[in-house]
Amino acid sequence: MSKMNTTPEQEHQATTADDEVLVSVRNLRKHYGADSFLSDDPVKAVDGVSFDIHRGETLGLVGESGCGKTTLGRTLIRLETPTSGEIRFDDTDITTLSGSDLKQWRRNAQMVFQDPDSSLNERMTVGELIRDPLDVHDWKTKSERDERVRELLEKVGLSENHYFRYPHQFSGGQRQRIGIARALALEPEFLVLDEPVSALDVSVQAKILNLLRDLQSDLDLTYLLIAHDLSVVRHLADRVAVMYLGHIMELGETERLFENPANPYTQSLLSAIPEADPYAESERITLRGAPPSPRNPPEGCPFSTRCPTKIRPEKYRSVDDDVWRAMEELRGILRERARTDRSIAMIARELLGLETRLSDIDEIVEEVFGGVDLPPELSTHVDRVVHEVTDGNPEAAQSYLKREIGGPCDTDTPEYYTVDDDGRSSYCHRHTAEYDPPSPTLRSE
Amino acid sequence: MRDYPAPFARWLAGVSLLLLVELGAVLSFVLGVANDLLRLTLGTAPLSGAVSTSQSLPTLISRDLVPNRGYYTGEEWAGTFLGLEPKYAWLIRVALVVVYGAVWCGWLWFGYITFRRHYRVADWTPTDDIIDRLRSHQWGKFGMVIVALFLLLALFAPVVSPTTMEQNIQDPYSNQIQYFSEETGEVQTTTAGAANRQSTSVGSVARNVGPWEYDNFNRFHPFGTLPSGKDLFTFLAYGARISLFIGVSSMLGAGALAMSFAMISSFYKGAVDLALVVTSDSIQALPVLMILILAAVVFSNTWIATVYNGALLFIALFTLIYWPYLWRAIRGPSFQVAEEEWIDAAKNYGQHPAQIMRKHMAPYIVGYMLIYASLTLGGVIISVAGLSFLGLGITPPTPEWGRAISVGQPYVASASWHISLIPGFLITLVVTAFNAMGDGIRDAVDPQSAEGDEATAAAAGGGGA
Repeated sequence: MSKMNTTPEQEHQATTADDEVLVSVRNLRKHYGADSFLSDDPVKAVDGVSFDIHRGETLGLVGESGCGKTTLGRTLIRLETPTSGEIRFDDTDITTLSGSDLKQWRRNAQMVFQDPDSSLNERMTVGELIRDPLDVHDWKTKSERDERVRELLEKVGLSENHYFRYPHQFSGGQRQRIGIARALALEPEFLVLDEPVSALDVSVQAKILNLLRDLQSDLDLTYLLIAHDLSVVRHLADRVAVMYLGHIMELGETERLFENPANPYTQSLLSAIPEADPYAESERITLRGAPPSPRNPPEGCPFSTRCPTKIRPEKYRSVDDDVWRAMEELRGILRERARTDRSIAMIARELLGLETRLSDIDEIVEEVFGGVDLPPELSTHVDRVVHEVTDGNPEAAQSYLKREIGGPCDTDTPEYYTVDDDGRSSYCHRHTAEYDPPSPTLRSE
Repeated sequence: MRDYPAPFARWLAGVSLLLLVELGAVLSFVLGVANDLLRLTLGTAPLSGAVSTSQSLPTLISRDLVPNRGYYTGEEWAGTFLGLEPKYAWLIRVALVVVYGAVWCGWLWFGYITFRRHYRVADWTPTDDIIDRLRSHQWGKFGMVIVALFLLLALFAPVVSPTTMEQNIQDPYSNQIQYFSEETGEVQTTTAGAANRQSTSVGSVARNVGPWEYDNFNRFHPFGTLPSGKDLFTFLAYGARISLFIGVSSMLGAGALAMSFAMISSFYKGAVDLALVVTSDSIQALPVLMILILAAVVFSNTWIATVYNGALLFIALFTLIYWPYLWRAIRGPSFQVAEEEWIDAAKNYGQHPAQIMRKHMAPYIVGYMLIYASLTLGGVIISVAGLSFLGLGITPPTPEWGRAISVGQPYVASASWHISLIPGFLITLVVTAFNAMGDGIRDAVDPQSAEGDEATAAAAGGGGA
């Protein structure tokens, strides 16, 4: 494991010889609500992402819902305007395109949408739907457009005489085929597949995935496949990017990544795949809490609030795991409380000196540390926290805990480390030599 | 379509036959409107000659074909159709008009069926479902029938009225009528105005011409007469024209505004939407009747109040006052459509925003628009009648239903009850019919709403000043 501070794509040159980068993304950020002076913190849906997509490959993008993967996909085809960063498509920076240049470029990049019920206008016939992109771009003559539509229908496994039917008359899988035909109409090079099969029946999913794979080799397409279903990604993707809270946590060749995940987040995500063998001893890693709000992501590593292998400060390495987990839980609760907006009624109760739901810090402490033996140095911290919170300074309590028991994961942004000879990169402090690599630590828990 | 013209040609032949029957009326109407427009823009009226020529063209369904005015000589009726009693002659003419209207409706439906069977390539469209649902909606069909009759009444006002507008209402003292005088035993001539003065309905049994009665001059009055002796049915038939014209025009205006604003606000969202919300709230905060009265008084002496007897002023006012209500009603559905993925798909292949709104949003909103427009139209008719009742609406002598109610008000509890009651009942009926039609369309466009929120649309429609 090398310790090089490089972005993943610089390391990726090894995969294949004829690699040619089609889409190159650098430090892409998409924040919502940043432009409006009325809103407070912007939602950082995509927060500094860099990767390359090579011509002819399928890049899988996985992650929990809300991690920003759909936003990333929509930004790549300019359905959203990025807040900052660069997207180069064949050496054109598409973030600055506008007007007719943008319209021209749009022919190159199309999207297949998630929900086949909502992605087709039900008041248009299938023919009109597929022809609409051609009409928009004044593609050749009218009769050639009609011819092209029929050809596309055949290509996606429908028949010519579906031209004059309405979407309502088709099943989910067929509707998704219509959506694919529409996306292909303008002969794009790049397709963003946004959960293309998640709304479909399991029996149909495989057919659509195979269709997508055949079309890719037929038409030299490049895919960005967004999915939360890991088996779909494994089936189709050449490389996989794992996303969490607006960041790419790990990016590498599919099989290797699935076989031997390097990043703690990838490890926990993959451990959620059930195994077909009932006797297999798989340890499922259950993450505590919910992902933090993208409005207020943690400093340092985005995964630090839930990471099972978070690095402890030197002096607490020997503390019992249960105790440590309780300490982290206390921090989590403080975080959550800071997120909760206090209602007017609650503020009024507080002013009147009445009990509020939030003020029960003693109860919380009792619950969290109920069954554990707190070592003295930690118990002074807890006392201090209780003190600060009762005084009405929850922020002070939070920063105190962070100062005392926080580690590098809380304060420093990790780097991308190359973790295998195939150029896989992972975003975790543990890849540096001074700490144990993530996997063994994970197993020891 | 051009490969197989027979069914279309058949249908077209039917249409031209139907038009031919009314050729004179159709031509003189079209030419007359064009002529008036030219006069307004150019200052000259180059088509006047053509208009008078077209008026002399034969028109099958007209008062000349089935005349109902004549006099009774003691033994027989002279001057009426086949010597029938005037009321039967009039009934035959009305029946002819209704049949003509029904044939038109039927023929249009047949045209749609022909198109569906022979020319439409798709064997099923979502519209088919909507039409099927509408066909099985009894209450909606009732509404449509009444609305169709109302349309016929307005359109064929000159034909269905027992007497003419000019003779009876506009210029009664320049028109002569003949009647048989029993005193002298011979046919005499008098002015319509003089006859009207002896046919008034002013409350007492002796001085009243009620519904379905003849006056002393052998003139038949299906709805009786006004206190001035003018024929109420004629008054109402022509009044229907102006009510309908104001209602439809202002709903078209308000509907077009509401629809474009709804699509713009749901497509661009944010500040644009906010600006429209504030604007519409400001307008909705104004008391409608107050504004109407104020505007009617302020503009009463300007040129705008003279166009079509003040109708243009009211069309403009109702358009400006009612668009926020319509916009509010369709803003929700519009936002719903804007969230659909096909909008994103269209953006993705570079479709122009105006085209996205037209092709991918408007078809979903126009149904809702129809519903709310037809529900609100009743409110507009009531408002116009209400203003005329207050003496502020359409300038006399142009007939308006509200004014008939107003002039009949002192006689409600007397023998001349018909003057207020009949127009009042008709307004109620027409407004109810428009609401029924709106209900029908709503259930057809949006079947899910049929069970749940009856109250919402009804509340939105009630309205009026």
